[in-house]
Amino acid sequence: MQAIGPNPFLFIGAVLFVCGVVCMTTKRNGIGVLMGVELVLNGANLNFITFSRFTPLGLDGQVFSLFVIVLAAAEAAVALAIALNFYNNHLTIDVDRGDDLHG
Amino acid sequence: MSTAEFILFWLFAALTCGGAIAVCVSQNVVRMAFSLVLTLGSTAVLFLLLGADFVGATQLLVYVGGTLVLIVFGVMLTATGPFTRIKSSAADGILSGLIGVVFLFIVASTVTSVDWDGGEGVAHKIAFGTHGKAVESGFNPTQQGNTTRQLGLSFLSLRPDRDLNLGAQPASSKVPNTAPVVPGAPATGMPGVTSPSEPKLSTGYLLPFEIVSVHLLVVLVGAAYLARTKRRTKS
Amino acid sequence: MDSLGNTLANLLTIAWLLPLFGFVVQILFALKWWGRKSKTGAYLAIFCIGAGFVCSSTAFYKWDTQAGHLVFKEAKPAATAEVAAPESEPTAEASDEHHHKKSSGKQTVFSGTFYQLAQFGDLKISLDYYIDSLTLAMFVMVTLIATCIHIFATGYMSEELVEDYVDHQVHTHDGGHFHRPGRFYRFFSYLSLFCFAMLGLVIAGNIFQVFIFWELVGICSYLLIGFYIERHSASTAANKAFIVNRVGDFGFIIGLMILWTSFGTFNFADQHAADHSVKPGLFSMVTRDDHGEFAKTSGGKDVVLTTQQDGHGAWQAPPESSPRKTIAYTLLIVAGLGVFGGCVGKSAQFPLQTWLPDAMEGPTPVSALVHSATMVAAGVYLAGRFYPMFTPEVLLTIAYVGCITAFVAATIAIVATDIKKVLAYSTISQLGYMMLGLGVGGWAAGLFHLITHAFFKSLMFLCSGSVIAGCHHEQEMPKMGGLLRKMPITALTMLVGVIAIAGLAIPGVYLKFWWYIPYLSINSDHGYVLSFSGFHSKDAILATALGYTKLNPLHFLLFLIPLLTAGITSFYMFRLWFYTFLGKPRDQHLHDHVHESPWVMTAPLLVLAFFAAFCALGGEHGNLFQTLSHSEPSHVEHGFDGSQSHTVSLPDSHSLHVKPAEGGASTHDVAGRSALLAAFIGMVISYLIYAKRVVNPDDIKRQAASVHAFLANKWGFDDLYDVMFVKPAHVVAKFAAAIDKFVFDEILHTFVRMGIAVSKWDRKFDEGVIDGIVNLMGNSTHSLALSLRNVQTGKIRQYVTFIAVSVVTLFVLLFALYPKG
Repeated sequence: MQAIGPNPFLFIGAVLFVCGVVCMTTKRNGIGVLMGVELVLNGANLNFITFSRFTPLGLDGQVFSLFVIVLAAAEAAVALAIALNFYNNHLTIDVDRGDDLHG
Repeated sequence: MSTAEFILFWLFAALTCGGAIAVCVSQNVVRMAFSLVLTLGSTAVLFLLLGADFVGATQLLVYVGGTLVLIVFGVMLTATGPFTRIKSSAADGILSGLIGVVFLFIVASTVTSVDWDGGEGVAHKIAFGTHGKAVESGFNPTQQGNTTRQLGLSFLSLRPDRDLNLGAQPASSKVPNTAPVVPGAPATGMPGVTSPSEPKLSTGYLLPFEIVSVHLLVVLVGAAYLARTKRRTKS
Repeated sequence: MDSLGNTLANLLTIAWLLPLFGFVVQILFALKWWGRKSKTGAYLAIFCIGAGFVCSSTAFYKWDTQAGHLVFKEAKPAATAEVAAPESEPTAEASDEHHHKKSSGKQTVFSGTFYQLAQFGDLKISLDYYIDSLTLAMFVMVTLIATCIHIFATGYMSEELVEDYVDHQVHTHDGGHFHRPGRFYRFFSYLSLFCFAMLGLVIAGNIFQVFIFWELVGICSYLLIGFYIERHSASTAANKAFIVNRVGDFGFIIGLMILWTSFGTFNFADQHAADHSVKPGLFSMVTRDDHGEFAKTSGGKDVVLTTQQDGHGAWQAPPESSPRKTIAYTLLIVAGLGVFGGCVGKSAQFPLQTWLPDAMEGPTPVSALVHSATMVAAGVYLAGRFYPMFTPEVLLTIAYVGCITAFVAATIAIVATDIKKVLAYSTISQLGYMMLGLGVGGWAAGLFHLITHAFFKSLMFLCSGSVIAGCHHEQEMPKMGGLLRKMPITALTMLVGVIAIAGLAIPGVYLKFWWYIPYLSINSDHGYVLSFSGFHSKDAILATALGYTKLNPLHFLLFLIPLLTAGITSFYMFRLWFYTFLGKPRDQHLHDHVHESPWVMTAPLLVLAFFAAFCALGGEHGNLFQTLSHSEPSHVEHGFDGSQSHTVSLPDSHSLHVKPAEGGASTHDVAGRSALLAAFIGMVISYLIYAKRVVNPDDIKRQAASVHAFLANKWGFDDLYDVMFVKPAHVVAKFAAAIDKFVFDEILHTFVRMGIAVSKWDRKFDEGVIDGIVNLMGNSTHSLALSLRNVQTGKIRQYVTFIAVSVVTLFVLLFALYPKG
């Protein structure tokens, strides 16, 4: 039985990342966009952990991923606050309506 | 590498990918949230499979238990009605999908084109130690035990995993070229390079840790300030 | 004597400069200090000229008591003319450098320099004074008349004492009358300036100074004629007066240039330098010998200037061996004619007489002061002052010009109906008389008439002013009549003037009463007539003219025409008086509103009437004439026999009074009687026609319609000048205008068009190229921004898509460019 190398993990990370990007581009719901961001961060995290395991990066990769998780949580909190404000101001969560700064 | 491990990996790999795709495809926020839970949880399992038990646990706790609850609250607070859908156009989906596929193809081809074993299958050996005695410079939980203590020490700027790697020192001398040279970090961890008489300590993460702590506090205050209820004057 | 000269100079200077002070104060401060409604400025002017009169009188008295001894001596009715005349003291020559008393013959002259203005080589331009009895008499006359007229004018001009004066003779476009601020103070400031200029002219010690003040009185005349400048007639008349005078002044300037080149000095009198050397004045350079002949070169063409003094101080020609200054005789004639040309203009002599009647557009006090008594007499004064320089030929010209003027003006006066116009023509006529008197050798006679005429003509003008003011500015005599009862003082004083000018007299009546008044004491035991001043002066002129024609029978017209004119004068003056004051009122409405003038206007009339009547008391043996003749040029007294030099002869002034040995009347008596006869005839005819209405004047007018039209048209002089000068001037002006318009303007226009074309091209370049480049940059930036603006949609999702696409593209490019890293 062949041991599992880094490639499958990296591929899964790529899938998460791509799904996150697609999510951000397609979802008109602000919360959906937020979810896409979380997916992207997770993809990145998975890469960190993978390299932590398979390269001399070692424990540092896990430390980075922990920071990413913390920052993601903070980002989620702020983004949600922003989303709520947006909702308060526009009575909707549709990000396409938030084009006040269009040229 | 046990069979169970193998099965678990593929199972959760499938769950992760499937969840992520479901998040993309679904038009219902609640369902998206549910799919996201699946994805993140599966990712946590993948972390565990990679030997990062503390990170995996944190992933479950913070993401699934914290962030996602937050998101669900966001969904609840912003939903104008039950099962609200804000449909995006099909053209958007197709375009995004196309870009995604191309992106994925590029990344995948890049990943697969890299020879992670350095031409000698080193990474593979390091990873799972299939060729007899494991020689690793990556993190091997089987040798290092669980990661909680080491992570905690690294946050206190102590790096026993690098500086006090007593058991690894003789072993490493047997395999002269173990890992690709990473500047900075391997200098201390490289056996034989460091003189025992004057050990050079690796840097830890005390300062970033403190910064992140303050950062979290600030974000907490900021989020609370931003999200506090303001009655719109227009209504 | 030196102290006397100083005293006279100081007194006359004060009298001269006081009006200037008044003028400056009035023109600068009157409006600010006292306002338009105040008479204070007028009082200041009266004070200035009145003080001037006092100074002048004092100077006259001083001169007479210390130098002349003619008037103010013990009243001795039995003194004879022969005894009285030459009594100046033969004292030594004045050593003082400023004053020079010349004691040749009867003359007593004081001269000196006030201030030197400039020096060009030998020629000095300075302010000098030249004081002799003529100067003094003129000063007293001018200041006295001016004072009276100033006082009269405070009453006459009182309508101007308002903030808003309505000029009823000026109509605005909307049919209303013209409104303007009152100009009372300005009138008096002009009068003061005029007095200053006139006195400066009289006291002037050199011909250039005379010219300066000559022009100054000219400008005063211009300002005063044009006082009602808004009236078209007034402004036209002012222009006419000024321009016509320019013609005469042109001759004056030619004369000045000849004098400068030939004589090298402008001074009348000799000048004493600091080193006791004496520089001869103009009069000293042209001395005559005992026969009245100039010193001439051997060829006889040039006159040798007498620039050397002999041991007795008399001037004589240098010997032929030494360098001599000479002047061509012809040039001397031209110089004399040139200066006389100025006199012709200023004194309104033929052919430049046309401006004076028009000058009556000025206020009546101005007509009285400027255009009858003083300024117009300045021409006569200058002719008298400059008399030593005139050759017999020039004098003949003067005589004929005066004769023609006197006759022409008198005939026009017959038909004039405007009361002021009659007086204006009468003035011209009388000025002609004066010129005639001077021309025929009656130097003192002409100036005598100048003084007497000034009094009675200013009197008559003021009377007419009183009438005009009483008749509410009606000047046409046909609308008056019967004013005697309404304005008795005016009428009677006017009658005094009329008698004076007409020269009426009652022969053989003695008035012993007057002998006890010092000034009016009489030095004659001759048969003496009761008459007013005009009789005597006219008598003197006619007598000289008769003497002249006796010596020069060829020029018999010079006596006959003045004699005829004397009759005409009497006729038209009485016509004026009868027309105005007698008969029935011809305009009842006007008559009802007539009123006698207030005392400020009648009092001057009475004063002037007194002088008009009695200033010449005693005639040629009287004080005034003797005073004047004291300054008579030395060569005049004894006449001049021109038969040898083929020129005219001048009569001896003494011989006129001598009765011929073979019996019969003297020349003087013949002339006097004929003149008296003519005057009586004129008066009687006038009385018959205008008072008794024996013949209706309108019938005469119809009978002699062509003559009347000819006279009413002023002998056609205005038309003639119009055709001769004005029209050609217009033609030339039109031609010049056409040249301007079609040549110079066209050249200018071409330049302008070129400029415009260049500018247009420049504009195109600017707008097309320069602006185009700038606009292109701006527009392109703008359009680029507009297109880029569409990229900035504000949609987050799109931005994310862009990022993703960009990353993909980057990767693709990376792999495409570096296929195998």
